[in-house]
Amino acid sequence: MELLKCVNVNKNFGDKPVLKDVNFTISSGKIIGLLGKNGTGKSTLIKIVNDLLTPTSGEILVNGKKVGVDSKKIISYLPERTYLDKAMTVDKVIEYFEDFYDNFDSNKARKLLLDLGLDTSQKLNKMSKGMQEKVQLVLVMSRKADLYILDEPLGGVDPATRDYILDTILTNFTEGASVIISTHLISDVERILDEVIFIDNGKIILQSDCDELRKKENSSIDEIFRRMFKC
Amino acid sequence: MRFEFDNNTPIYIQLVEQLKICIISGKINPGERLSSIRDLALQAKVNPNTMQKALMELEELKLIYTERTNGKFVTKNHQLIDEYKKQYADDLSNQFFLSMESIGFDRSETIDYLKYLGGDK
Amino acid sequence: MLKKLLKYDLKSIFKFLIIFYGLSLFFAILTRIFLSVDNSFIMNIIGKICSGITISMLFNILINNLMRLWVRFKGNLYGDESYLTHTLPIERKTIYLSKVITAIITMFTSVIVIALTIFVAYYSKENLKMLTDMLLPIANAYGSTIVTMLLAILFVFFLEIANAVQAGFTGIILGHRMNNAKTGYSILFGFITYMITQLFALLSIFIVGLFNADIMNLFFTNQLLNIEILKFMMYLAIIVYTIILFVLYFINSEIFKKGVNVD
Repeated sequence: MELLKCVNVNKNFGDKPVLKDVNFTISSGKIIGLLGKNGTGKSTLIKIVNDLLTPTSGEILVNGKKVGVDSKKIISYLPERTYLDKAMTVDKVIEYFEDFYDNFDSNKARKLLLDLGLDTSQKLNKMSKGMQEKVQLVLVMSRKADLYILDEPLGGVDPATRDYILDTILTNFTEGASVIISTHLISDVERILDEVIFIDNGKIILQSDCDELRKKENSSIDEIFRRMFKC
Repeated sequence: MRFEFDNNTPIYIQLVEQLKICIISGKINPGERLSSIRDLALQAKVNPNTMQKALMELEELKLIYTERTNGKFVTKNHQLIDEYKKQYADDLSNQFFLSMESIGFDRSETIDYLKYLGGDK
Repeated sequence: MLKKLLKYDLKSIFKFLIIFYGLSLFFAILTRIFLSVDNSFIMNIIGKICSGITISMLFNILINNLMRLWVRFKGNLYGDESYLTHTLPIERKTIYLSKVITAIITMFTSVIVIALTIFVAYYSKENLKMLTDMLLPIANAYGSTIVTMLLAILFVFFLEIANAVQAGFTGIILGHRMNNAKTGYSILFGFITYMITQLFALLSIFIVGLFNADIMNLFFTNQLLNIEILKFMMYLAIIVYTIILFVLYFINSEIFKKGVNVD
């Protein structure tokens, strides 16, 4: 069965259409790049899948069921902003995740945080923004989910951190699970992708297997993207 | 093992090439057990699916084989490895000759030049 | 899951309230000490100041409790934290229920602390007697004891606040139905909702008045209320406010269930 299916999804902000008749399907065991320029509807689409926005029309199915408690159990979502209660210590946040997610592996989270050299008794608001983001990534990747949705995980970080983030994703996603990575930094992620979905102006322009696309166009995904969306 | 990739060609093809070199150069010995797909993928920093695809390709080339419970192993067939090595050496040499040709050395001149470089007058 | 949600909701409200609880009891004790130790002029002045602070602390508790509930509601369900709240594997109606129960529990403890503070600061045989003397005639007229009457008044007050809290929640929910929500809308909608509940209360009195000439007179004459009518109104208030409480709860829960649009 399809893990995630979007059927004729439309979203308007006021009179302004942000997503136009979006259709696509994602199956299990893939790493998918949701690629598009800034402000083309990537985050909107992801937020609809995560029940943070209601679609104006259309339907999202996760494992054949509408978005709801069941889909939230199996989707692990990293938003593009820091979303934790910053007055909490890292220990408390781990406890929080343990309380609410059955599939959260706190030992794994603690181990990953230890590798980062982080003092877990520290409050989040005492940490740098970069560190907070890493903590969030660790928490999200420490869930044994069926689908990981990572919204701009590489935005605004230095190259060394980028490597850390990509490694953490690759090392920690559950075997057989799928990962959706939305980004505009294509050259950094393209080597780990199975599939790409190009989104522009609220429309899905292309969905394809990465290697097939490279073979067909004889160039990198980054270059293909640049060619397609020349300003 | 270190892997370098260029984003212009399919990653799995590059993986096949680089793993092939590891095998024919003896970096991975004949009969040696390979790490798990996930570990290999991690070393190469690629998607496990891509690594899987590359290993399947190598299996088709008979350079590795799967033992059902134990994992994947490099072939013990030295003859086959040597064959691939020769093929590779031929390819590399031909490329070299072509390059030399482009600056005006014909085949025998190139060979003489190599001998000269090797100190064999 | 409701229990776990409550744990975090209650903690986040009490974390702030506890400071005010402590302060108000502290000043209540000071008031008592300075007003009772001796009758010197200085002590008396300090006592009066402490007494003033204690009273203001009581208002502080109420206002802070209300504001905290609203701020938490907005932040947790529509601010940055909403990205976590709404992706928890929990029904949205449970999330809303947790907020309402939190409101009721914290308001309840606040009322108790307020009563306790007043007791600590001002309890004395004379004061109690004064209060009893003042309230007894009214209680007698109501045909109840002072305690029952005080509890009834307290209960109406409590329901009134609970409705104000929920009207605020309605405002926040409606204000955020649209994208790019503005706080102004939330306040406006909250205020409108509160006005509607008050109109509803008034309307129900009017409807009852259709069958009861005494009550109808309220609307058309300047006659002073007699005790019988007051008593009746008190019962009516309890019933109407309770209905409003549940109706608002139901409406809010239904709108909220339909989904959110967070920025």
